[in-house]
Amino acid sequence: MIVKLHLKKEIHVPVDAESISPDVFAGKLVEEIAELPLWKGNRKVPLKDVFGVEGISGKVTNELVIHIDGNLSKVQRIGSGMTDGEIRIAGDVGMHLGVEMKGGKITVEGNVGSWLGSSMKGGTIEVNKDAGDYIGAPYRGSTEGMRGGTITIHGNAGTEAGRYMKKGLIRIDGDVDQFVGIHLKKGAILVRGNADGRAGAFMTGGKIIICGHLKSLLPTFTIDSMKSKAKVEEEIIKEPFYLFIGDLAEHGSGKLYLAKNKNKHLETHEKLLQ
Amino acid sequence: MTLVKNVTCPICGTLCDDLEVEVEENSIVDVRNACAIGEAKFLNFTDPKHRNLKPLVRKGGELTEVSLDEAVERSAQILAHAQYPILYGWSCTSCQAIRVGIELAEEVGGVIDNTSTVCHGPSILSIQSVGIPTCTLGQVRHRADLVVYWASDPYSAHPRHIERYTSFSDGRFQESEWEHYVTRLRGVLGKKRLSRASARISMREVSIPPIADPKLPPEFETEKRKLIVVDVRKTRSAEIADFFIQVEPNRDFELLQALRLLVKDEELEVDKVAGVPVDLLEEFADILISCNFGIFFFGVGLTMSSGKHRNIDAAIALTKDLNYRTKFAIMPMRGHFNVAGANIVSTWQTGYPFAVDFSHGYPRYNPGETSAVDILQRDESDASLIIASDPVSNFPRNAAQNLVKNPMITIDPVVSPTTMMADVVIPSAFVGIEVEGTAYRMDCVPLPMKKIVEPPKICLPDEEILRRILLQVRQIRQTGGKA
Amino acid sequence: MKELLIKNGFVYDPLNKIDGETMDIAVRDGKIVEEVKKGKTIDASGMVVMPGGVDIHSHIAGAKVNSGRLLRPEDHYKDVELKTVLTRSGVGYSIPSTFTTGYRYSRMGWTTVMEPAMPPLKAKHTHEELNDTPMVDKGAYPLLGSNWFVLEYLRAKMYGECAAFVAWMMNATKGYAIKLVNPGGLEAWGFGRNVRDIDDPVPNFDITPREIIQGLCKVNQILNLPHTIHVHINNLGKPGNYVTTLETMRCVENLATDNKPIMHLTHCQFSAFAGEDWRTFKSASEEIAEYVNSHSHVTLDMGQIVFTNTTTMTADGPFQFTLYQITGNKWVNNDVETETSSGIVPFQYKRKNYVHATQWTIGLELALQIKDPWKILLTTDHPNAGPFTAYPKVITWLMSRKARDDVMKKVNKKTRRKAPLSAIDREYSLYEIAIATRAGQAKALGLESKGHLGVGADADISVYNLDPKKTNLADNPEAITKAFKKAAYTIKDGEIVVRDGEVVNSVNGRTYWVKVETQANLFEIEPELKRAFEKYYTVKYENYLVPQNFSAHQTPVTAKARIKS
Repeated sequence: MIVKLHLKKEIHVPVDAESISPDVFAGKLVEEIAELPLWKGNRKVPLKDVFGVEGISGKVTNELVIHIDGNLSKVQRIGSGMTDGEIRIAGDVGMHLGVEMKGGKITVEGNVGSWLGSSMKGGTIEVNKDAGDYIGAPYRGSTEGMRGGTITIHGNAGTEAGRYMKKGLIRIDGDVDQFVGIHLKKGAILVRGNADGRAGAFMTGGKIIICGHLKSLLPTFTIDSMKSKAKVEEEIIKEPFYLFIGDLAEHGSGKLYLAKNKNKHLETHEKLLQ
Repeated sequence: MTLVKNVTCPICGTLCDDLEVEVEENSIVDVRNACAIGEAKFLNFTDPKHRNLKPLVRKGGELTEVSLDEAVERSAQILAHAQYPILYGWSCTSCQAIRVGIELAEEVGGVIDNTSTVCHGPSILSIQSVGIPTCTLGQVRHRADLVVYWASDPYSAHPRHIERYTSFSDGRFQESEWEHYVTRLRGVLGKKRLSRASARISMREVSIPPIADPKLPPEFETEKRKLIVVDVRKTRSAEIADFFIQVEPNRDFELLQALRLLVKDEELEVDKVAGVPVDLLEEFADILISCNFGIFFFGVGLTMSSGKHRNIDAAIALTKDLNYRTKFAIMPMRGHFNVAGANIVSTWQTGYPFAVDFSHGYPRYNPGETSAVDILQRDESDASLIIASDPVSNFPRNAAQNLVKNPMITIDPVVSPTTMMADVVIPSAFVGIEVEGTAYRMDCVPLPMKKIVEPPKICLPDEEILRRILLQVRQIRQTGGKA
Repeated sequence: MKELLIKNGFVYDPLNKIDGETMDIAVRDGKIVEEVKKGKTIDASGMVVMPGGVDIHSHIAGAKVNSGRLLRPEDHYKDVELKTVLTRSGVGYSIPSTFTTGYRYSRMGWTTVMEPAMPPLKAKHTHEELNDTPMVDKGAYPLLGSNWFVLEYLRAKMYGECAAFVAWMMNATKGYAIKLVNPGGLEAWGFGRNVRDIDDPVPNFDITPREIIQGLCKVNQILNLPHTIHVHINNLGKPGNYVTTLETMRCVENLATDNKPIMHLTHCQFSAFAGEDWRTFKSASEEIAEYVNSHSHVTLDMGQIVFTNTTTMTADGPFQFTLYQITGNKWVNNDVETETSSGIVPFQYKRKNYVHATQWTIGLELALQIKDPWKILLTTDHPNAGPFTAYPKVITWLMSRKARDDVMKKVNKKTRRKAPLSAIDREYSLYEIAIATRAGQAKALGLESKGHLGVGADADISVYNLDPKKTNLADNPEAITKAFKKAAYTIKDGEIVVRDGEVVNSVNGRTYWVKVETQANLFEIEPELKRAFEKYYTVKYENYLVPQNFSAHQTPVTAKARIKS
């Protein structure tokens, strides 16, 4: 069962599309879906004003695939709280994609805005290009970070990926901005590219693996040992790593793996191991 | 001639309330007790070159003089028809005006944001993530034996801060360090004179002596109030400090986190952090721990450098850690005279201090998303109302570009690049000189702003202008103009 | 002339000794009258009619409350109020925005609410917020228990001068009652210290909390203020603190005359802890109740715990620091020069936590073991023990043993085994509820036109859809909760403002403050005060005062002082 949405024309003011979710679509006819409410700026409009709708909807959430195309970079909150089913986005998409997602799958061909999968509890999100800031992170004031699920970014990511994460996995194939894994409690973050610094600030537990260069290591981490490999779920990365523990300013015991070959500036720490 | 006493100064967040203003025939002739910035404002605010004195509406590309009613009507039309308007500014007006502004934002389903979004917004985000141990400025005056200005130069930006509230003020438990400072300053000036003289004699440029002295001066052992400045360069304030610590630019976060470790009596594995030798940091940590009452004042140097609100997280966390050892507080050095008030009023009415989005009929808050600069950078807004602020000069270029390409209303006593680019200009009266109202000091103490002289007839108070627009918007709504 | 008749309701008006009689209540021009001829009629048959609810202690406005709002966006996200034609939008949950606070109180049938902790230096802030809190009448208590002027006058035993200063303070801050929070301890907190008990001298001031409490109690008597001194004890929230509570009550015993209360001990649940530490922690409700049952000079309020995520906020800086140390949650501390401190820590009360569950029992035990309902009033010390929106639940617990047992089944096992609550059968009647939530509160506050439905009273009335004749309330706790959650009608000053739990008319409400009348010139101390003022404060004397017309609807209540000229 596939429901296809396509953006009718370029939008100027932001569109809040919380109702685009397999959970909401399930059991509705295409005509009913077309009438679902969206916020366009401060106006409530039916979905059909913004999107063309076609296809066949299903009764059951997990059989439902929603395919969306057009420049969605100002469309927010798609797949919010979804529990099952699938959303495929053909191009770029805006902020808050899959917030508080509990299950199902979201794939994005293009770039995605900030707060991707905020406080998500389960399911998978895969982004082919870049992601914005605050991947999986809770909103201002909250410490309810990601509790489960997997987020994979094939491009680069912004700042504070995985803030307050408690469980789950974030994989970033490209580079990350500052503060990756800030306040990390548990769970794992794998960065295959470089990191801009301050990785693991305030972390108390969990694991961050950086296979590229880390611009600078916080002074509140202590070297623990050298490792010949790093492991995240089933995946094993076979190359030498420094293992640092921190953030000591928080009495933390988080693990920060930094690839030895890409981080010559950390060599001085090696003498502390002897 | 009348002398108005106890006048609150409408310039910066220090909000000195001891000014004395002499008035002759509705014009200010003299100001006492003010700093140079305050004095200049009181004496020059009427300068017609800089003053908006006509309601203007852009017609055929030109700003044309219109009646106030027409300007209000045009403003109401713009706002009532907008789908995502921004109402921005609010830090240089009274709380009474801000109250009406929020009601207007709610009515038009807009986003209301104040200038803290581009100065101490990060400090607020940080408070929301870790809290803040702080106090009113009188606590500092009476009790603080250690004052640290971090990435803040009060001498230039808040000229009377040190004299009124910190090192040079006289408190119940702490005496002023003014005399001590004068003696030392004489010494410094003498040295400078000598070096200038020697430069003339030897006929060559004498380089300025290195600024960061990596050792503590011996008088640190004494039981007096201490003033420490931490900054990326030696500011005017650093010159009068007992000690100056120079931090590498954009490395404050590392320095603060390292200090946190040290005040917990743990050790660092490196020799230098952010360009500061660890030995010196250890001594600094000792000073922090051993005071009876310490305070950090921090400025935009910390909120707007690399790391932004996470720098403040670290600074506040350090302050919290220090409270296990002694009494310590921390306070942002707020800029505009009522930026604290803008946050406060917004918080009691909506639950949130800035960047409040009413587009869904209730307050939503997510700086980064609902903050004016971010909305503009994503080009999502379709109209704006700017009050007592100059975003065209202060916002990042693409944000300013997107701001001016949509209908823009300005309410401002003064001419600015923003008012010149606007579609509607409504002249207003100066709060604290021509209109009374409430403002909040940087430590959130409310103070009354006085009306000292009558404004020009066409210049109404912001509150009144906003009320008129609100009324018009409601009328347009009732007649179904919104569709 | 605007008239209204509420017909055939079961009327509960304890101040006039009316216990559920079927009666009509007539209203004209905002007051209760004997009878009306025309005007609107509300058919209240099968419903309960009570005076509008009164809250003696609820943190709803001012610097500290607002810092709490700012601190906790996560408290607001999922509890929102939409703008309507009549009402402003806002957010909850534990620290609602001002408009929302007013609407939510009114929806439950409350018409008067007192903000119990106003730092005098920031009084304008409190009043600006109260001005934006619609639907209810309000007032605020200035914090005076660690004020330097007070400490200095009382150390010198200059009670008359201190009384004149406090009278000036009521006028300067537009305050309603004398508030003491951890007397003396907050001054010590200025240097990060505290006082240990009521005889531990305040550092640098050479005065004990006992002397402060007694002194301000005398001052209150001299000034004849409508409310008694309002006391948050030393050692609040510490195991074993019931001893301090008993000493605090005892220390003013001798000052009592003609069996009248002279002290209000607030959120008593937090002050009735036995044990040496958190491990041996247990309820001391029996000890407190025993004392209160045999004395008549104190009134209390409950500070009842609700199992929820809330925000603790008090002027008690050192106590809040302890909570921060225990929880590791975010923490705000804000000390105010010359006067007070304050602290805020978000807090989650959990059923399965022994301490929290026991705290839940303590509040109820106090209310159920203290025999005279006039002596213990219903509060949650909003938002400290829970938000005020939990009142319907608390009422239900008091009225229904079944409701209590249902909670007991789910709480910590050790609590269940040890708590005296398990053995208490008492259930409040609607008459007693009317005392605990209205009549007793108004009486303790000295608000003579509130809390009753006699001729001349303010027409603040609530009507609840509850029929005690048809339903056995104790066996049907859900019916109680449901009825009190959404008033069938709330009438404020004779206007119907809420119908079926929805706001139908937005009104402002007054802000009461006490204007002390005396033959003596209260401002005699002014020149002296002004001189000291310059030294003590960073603001000018003139700029400290809350002007007469500062916010709309300020209403003075006069007190006739007994100061000698």
